Amino acid sequence: MTTATATAGTAAVATAAPLYVTGAGVVSAAGYGLAPLGELLLKQGELERHPAGEDAEAYPPRPVRAVHGFDVKAHLGRKGTKYLDRLTSFGLVACKEVLEGAEVSGGRTGVVLATNTGSVSTHSSLLYDTLTLEKPYLVNPGQFPNTVMNSTSGQIAIRNGLRGLNATVAGGQTASLLAFRHARLALGLGRAERLLVGGVEELSAPAAWAWHRTGVLREDAALGEGAAVFTVQQDPAEGALAELLACEVRFTPDPRQYADGLANAVARALDRSGVRPEEVTAVSLGAVHHRGLERIEERGVRAALGGELPRAVRVADVLGETYSASGALQLAALLALWQAEPPASPVTALVTSVGRDGNAAALVVRSPR
Amino acid sequence: MADTAGAARPSRRVVITGLGAVSPVGIGADVFAAAVRAGVNGTAPIESFDASAFPRRKAGEVLDFEPADHLKRLDPPRWGRSGLLAAAAARLAVADADIDEEQLDTARAGAVMGTTSGESAVVQALAEQWIEGGLASIDGELAGQTPASRIANAVSAELRLTGETQTIPTACSASNYALGYAYDLVRSGEAEVMLAGGADAVNRLTHAGFYALGAMAEDVPRPFAADRSGIVTGEGGAVLVLETYEHAVARGARMYAEILGYAANCDAAHMVHPDATSIAAGIRAAHEAAGVEAAQIDYICAHGTGTPTNDSTEVAAAREVFGDRIPPISSIKSMLGHTMGAASGFGAIACCKAFEQDFLPPTANVTESDPALGEGVDCVPGVGREARLDIVQNHGFAFGGNNVITILGRVS
Repeated sequence: MTTATATAGTAAVATAAPLYVTGAGVVSAAGYGLAPLGELLLKQGELERHPAGEDAEAYPPRPVRAVHGFDVKAHLGRKGTKYLDRLTSFGLVACKEVLEGAEVSGGRTGVVLATNTGSVSTHSSLLYDTLTLEKPYLVNPGQFPNTVMNSTSGQIAIRNGLRGLNATVAGGQTASLLAFRHARLALGLGRAERLLVGGVEELSAPAAWAWHRTGVLREDAALGEGAAVFTVQQDPAEGALAELLACEVRFTPDPRQYADGLANAVARALDRSGVRPEEVTAVSLGAVHHRGLERIEERGVRAALGGELPRAVRVADVLGETYSASGALQLAALLALWQAEPPASPVTALVTSVGRDGNAAALVVRSPR
Repeated sequence: MADTAGAARPSRRVVITGLGAVSPVGIGADVFAAAVRAGVNGTAPIESFDASAFPRRKAGEVLDFEPADHLKRLDPPRWGRSGLLAAAAARLAVADADIDEEQLDTARAGAVMGTTSGESAVVQALAEQWIEGGLASIDGELAGQTPASRIANAVSAELRLTGETQTIPTACSASNYALGYAYDLVRSGEAEVMLAGGADAVNRLTHAGFYALGAMAEDVPRPFAADRSGIVTGEGGAVLVLETYEHAVARGARMYAEILGYAANCDAAHMVHPDATSIAAGIRAAHEAAGVEAAQIDYICAHGTGTPTNDSTEVAAAREVFGDRIPPISSIKSMLGHTMGAASGFGAIACCKAFEQDFLPPTANVTESDPALGEGVDCVPGVGREARLDIVQNHGFAFGGNNVITILGRVS
């Protein structure tokens, strides 16, 4: 376990020790937890296609995979929920699920959460107020703190007494995988004993229109929302849901080389995981329905694996586009499938992601032993 | 698990070799340092949005920022103001470090940037379109510029970096978080060189929100003074070049400071009210991580927002750790305004220049510290003071209860 891969002129980089996933909390259009997601993926079932929430009528004409009937008070009770926005509510409910029955050492447990721009619904409604109110400074002071992008991770810490490291990570499409990488380094350096790691996104009419107007998604692509949060630790745990091996990233400034950039990240992630390309049995893809990027991602994965694409899991087919939360939901999809149909012996899979500016990331995951 | 133990205590030293400041008191680290030392006021009437209906109409804007003067590759109309501020500061930092682009390539360099409000100027422009013509009328190209991740992406795209590119939006502690994470990447061998810091742009919502919270100064920020009344919003890009000591020595680089360690914790108590005991725990953890004693700290570059609550809480936390011998503690926000996600990046740059030029950065607009803060609070009132510093600490606190404290030392 002490082998190292050294690149010429750089320091030796240690082989990645596994991180153990001891819990998963999922809020998605499929429902709560891994089980309904697994069922939906296996059946490729159809969900409702219309938006949820007060501004449902204001959405652009395209399919949406909303979390219908969501009421944060039903999950968390009334106390302290008055100013919670949809984004933070998803995050809190996912964390409640993941911490159910777990003993929490608050000082050594932290949070690493992926985001894009925080809550678009809160941000846009307050911005609307400052632009339309006669007294533009009379925005709601109870809601203003929810506009900062670390609001959800702060609320998770408050509600669960988590006083350790509390990071929020933005990385566009690749944000959730950046969060896993961030968590891996922090755990490896002893900055925390256990971390809640994942991603959250919410839908709203302004966010839906932003997607619609950029034109980066295929016309029939659904927009999605939800959260997936995992408890992750270095100490081996009985009954772990999965082992996370290396997570590698690459930035590629030149769009003509985006596929090469992803191939580089995948190859390094496999190398540091001690996994051979032919051992990869499935790949959970991220850029599903993205014009251009969809083919770039598949090309990059094929290049790194020697030409063949293993079984492809496309969680966005059932949950829609969940942007910064996509990597976490891609991982949730693998775990859900392994729970629904446990492999006869441990298998290894990839979670990959590419973004529009040239971000690429790859995470190697092993099914439970 | 032998590798786990080895990874827990990496021995690589990390030094700061380049500084880039695009600030309300000037562009370039030397201009910035001279202005800070002189206690220059960087706040002025707001130009970036129509502030006429607001009771407070000043901010610390970078009025002379022309992206095209600094950037070689980015096409400014395709990026938001925060990303452009970051990329320009990164260019300046790389030039200051005298490191060429080929070296950045072979060093697997990347960028870690903090922010509070991301591409707030872009989002504000979209909201204006929404009100003008409805959601269906918003510009798709502009909507594509909203992700906060584009701040670090702008730096890596501008400098052709292929390494880790991550934006850390932990609000007003964000630059310190970025510095800490970049330090971890370098010392653990994940990267050889990293650019770290943060950026934010003055915007209408932040201005309105701080006013609504009752946290905005009547005229200028007066941190630690009895008549302090709050913040003035600010903006800028602050970037530092981090590399291993060996890498710096091998290329004959000037070394401003060594990052001795850092700590990040969370109050887990309240979204906007800081917690002295939790901050004190963060300071102690940072000292432990850096291997220093409290008595060795020569200066605290404070979070120092200038709100009554922040400053008394910050001093109370320092008193818990330092007893009655609190080191000189000053706030450069008195000059820049609160530059939000860039704030602790500017703090780190001020610390590096303080090492180089032997001075204590001041708290401007202040003649004496508030007696209610207790005995022995030296906020370096007015203008900078000559002093030789060896070890300093830089504070960054944020909404959400995120505290990050970095410890910097003179390179020995």
